[in-house]
Amino acid sequence: MRSGAWRALRRRPVFWVPVAILVVVLAMAVAPRLFAGADPADCTLDRSMAPPSGAAWFGYDFQGCDVFARTVYGTRSSLLVGVLATALAGLIAAGVGMASGYLGGWLDSVLSRLTDIVLGIPLLLAAIVLLHRATANGSGHGIWPVVGTLGILGWTTAARVVRSSVLAARQQDYVQAARMLGAGHGRILVRHIAPNAVAPAVVVLTITLGTFIASEATLSFLGIGLRAPSISWGGDIFAAQARLRQAWWPLIWPSTFLAVTVLAFIMLGDAIRDAFDPRSR
Amino acid sequence: MHVRRATARIVVAVVAVVAAGTLAACTGGPATVSAADTAAVVSIGIGEPTHLIPTNTTDSSGAQVLAALFTPLVTFDRNNKPVPAQADSITATDSRVWTIRLKGGYTFHNGEPVTSDSYLRAWNFGAYGPNGQDNNPYFAKISGYAALNPTDPKATPTATTLSGLRRIDALTFQVVLSAPYSDFPAALGYLAFLPLPAAAFDATGHIARGFEDQLVGDGPFQMRDVWAHDQSIEVQRYDSYSGTKPKVGKIDFKIYQDLTTAYSDALTNTLDVLPGVPTPNLATAAKDFGNRYRHSPSSAFQYLAFPTYDPDYSNVNVRKAISMAIDRDQIVKSVFAGSQIAARSFVSPVLPGYRANTCGAACQYNPVAAKELYKQSNGPAKVQITYNADGGHKEWVEATCNQLARNLGVKCVAQAEAKLADLLPKLQNKTPGVGMFRLGWVMDYPSMEDYLTPLYSTGGSANYYGYSNPQFDQLVAQGSQQPTGAAAIRLYQEAEDLLARDMPVIPLRFGQNDFVYSANVSNVSVDLFGDVNLLDITVSGT
Repeated sequence: MRSGAWRALRRRPVFWVPVAILVVVLAMAVAPRLFAGADPADCTLDRSMAPPSGAAWFGYDFQGCDVFARTVYGTRSSLLVGVLATALAGLIAAGVGMASGYLGGWLDSVLSRLTDIVLGIPLLLAAIVLLHRATANGSGHGIWPVVGTLGILGWTTAARVVRSSVLAARQQDYVQAARMLGAGHGRILVRHIAPNAVAPAVVVLTITLGTFIASEATLSFLGIGLRAPSISWGGDIFAAQARLRQAWWPLIWPSTFLAVTVLAFIMLGDAIRDAFDPRSR
Repeated sequence: MHVRRATARIVVAVVAVVAAGTLAACTGGPATVSAADTAAVVSIGIGEPTHLIPTNTTDSSGAQVLAALFTPLVTFDRNNKPVPAQADSITATDSRVWTIRLKGGYTFHNGEPVTSDSYLRAWNFGAYGPNGQDNNPYFAKISGYAALNPTDPKATPTATTLSGLRRIDALTFQVVLSAPYSDFPAALGYLAFLPLPAAAFDATGHIARGFEDQLVGDGPFQMRDVWAHDQSIEVQRYDSYSGTKPKVGKIDFKIYQDLTTAYSDALTNTLDVLPGVPTPNLATAAKDFGNRYRHSPSSAFQYLAFPTYDPDYSNVNVRKAISMAIDRDQIVKSVFAGSQIAARSFVSPVLPGYRANTCGAACQYNPVAAKELYKQSNGPAKVQITYNADGGHKEWVEATCNQLARNLGVKCVAQAEAKLADLLPKLQNKTPGVGMFRLGWVMDYPSMEDYLTPLYSTGGSANYYGYSNPQFDQLVAQGSQQPTGAAAIRLYQEAEDLLARDMPVIPLRFGQNDFVYSANVSNVSVDLFGDVNLLDITVSGT
């Protein structure tokens, strides 16, 4: 089935376009120096809001920093937050989903209700409360509070998907066979059930990754996500919007990068889902 | 504590998002009605006051509301000389024992006459340590203060009233100070010295429940409704007021979490007066408002302070090098669109006794000398400026940091704390990792002394830098005991020279009030304290 999915994906531009974008974005995150010659920390009011020119294609922001350099360097924190938060959410989702789907019974009821509760909490509102507490306690302004908050609040959809695929896989003959042969729960889960539950979860998590990046930008925009000296698209967008009437370029570039990256992840997730879903093939 | 006056105008952006919906809803309709004088309504944009009990009010929003609700003993004329308002006369024989006579005929909004007791009651309450009033230190000069404020905060004070306050008759009382203080009449213009009616207190001597939300004062305006927290405070003209009557009938103090929203409201005539234009809007305000964008002198003073107890900044030459690496003029020009004044002294130019450039070479921009001095003195390779994100300081703090990074070759981080209320406890506890920090000061009363004692004296109420210089303390104390202003100023200036030598803080800018108003109002003015003059303002076309 997986090779079938790959064959279907391979022929679709809807798959290759986001992949190409994400390769570039990933390269930017890993080696920003290759893309931006200017130092994002080299800022001076002398060239405050200087428009795009040959020296700086995207112009300079209010503080006189190179907008292109800042946008490229901002890729790293955005991706890092997105990937780490997704990893955390994925881990929680796998644990909760497999436990409730495989073991069932009262544990399933408890975990499913827990999922419902977390799903019912508005992401932004809860993030504001959690992050506010985190910073008030002085537990730092780095990426970890943001990663933790997004991970803790964002695992629910994936957990439901994992649970339902585990439920389906549990009834399969090969699982019954393994059980009769005397395989333990651990072995059955890891060798027989997990491989079948992974694909749908990956689809959901890819889309989630995109939304996490958008959420990080939103939180940074509100001033509670990443803070200086971290460079973040959301933070830069916030700084630029106050003076939008004087200069548009400090706002437009981080916004564009953000939109394109988020879109790429969501498109990729869609493409993979289409490939895995036999009904749409 | 009163540092907050300069900065408490904006509350966290986070709240703004949550409250944006409600705000939008309540700023919808037309704000002004051009009808008869008494029906005229004017709206003024403020932040949410932290408190409204006068002895507990330290922020500028609260001060603005109290200016409507109360009449102080003295106000200030154009030359910053105190002129009696509620007081009939304030006299002293040796500037230690002051006799205050009140004008008769003033009443609180509940009809209760304003008497000596109204003052003594409020002052004793404010001075009593366990009441925890933020303006408590302002009573420290009155005899008997120590008995109400034991050094051990858990101990019960031995007295409940200041021994230095004596009632003579219904309209006269005497204040005995522990040392002569010639500026006392000016100090009486501060919020801490406002009166309270008997109704303010319950049987146990505490502020009665609900009083703060429905304040009863003795001023030209009275509360129209209870304080709608985070929304508005509405006041109307008090008809039995004996002083100068205001020219408008009602004032709505609209509470904003985000000044940019207030600016947009003013632009659409939904808000009438915005006393402080947000920094990013300064560049376009002249275009947006034309001649309804005005400036007036302000007593505000912005500075960068050092934790002098931190080994990184304990060397005075490091501090001077940092000061020389800051291009104040460029920041004023680029960030503030020229609306503030680069500061090279420690005392505001609005006061007698101000001298330009008392800071000397240390406040002149000289990147080459700065870098050399910094290197020689082994300045730290990484510096940090902590600021509060709720005061619109981000842009200039980041710009300052960038200048330090470029000119000194250091790494500089501009670190935000959400609120000033979060930053101050950290400073108080000398929490490590704060680095340099920004603070601002708006004077409480017009005297050089108000820029010296609270900010730099040993244990001063706003001395967060661990600065202590016995010689400085002595000069200021001597100054405040001088019988004449001129003699006092000479000593204060000597004290200021010590600051220039020790540089516990770097003067950055003297403020200016930048205010805008809608086409609905005229005769708008903002005083040195940053308050809109509520008696002059009129509605256009009436």
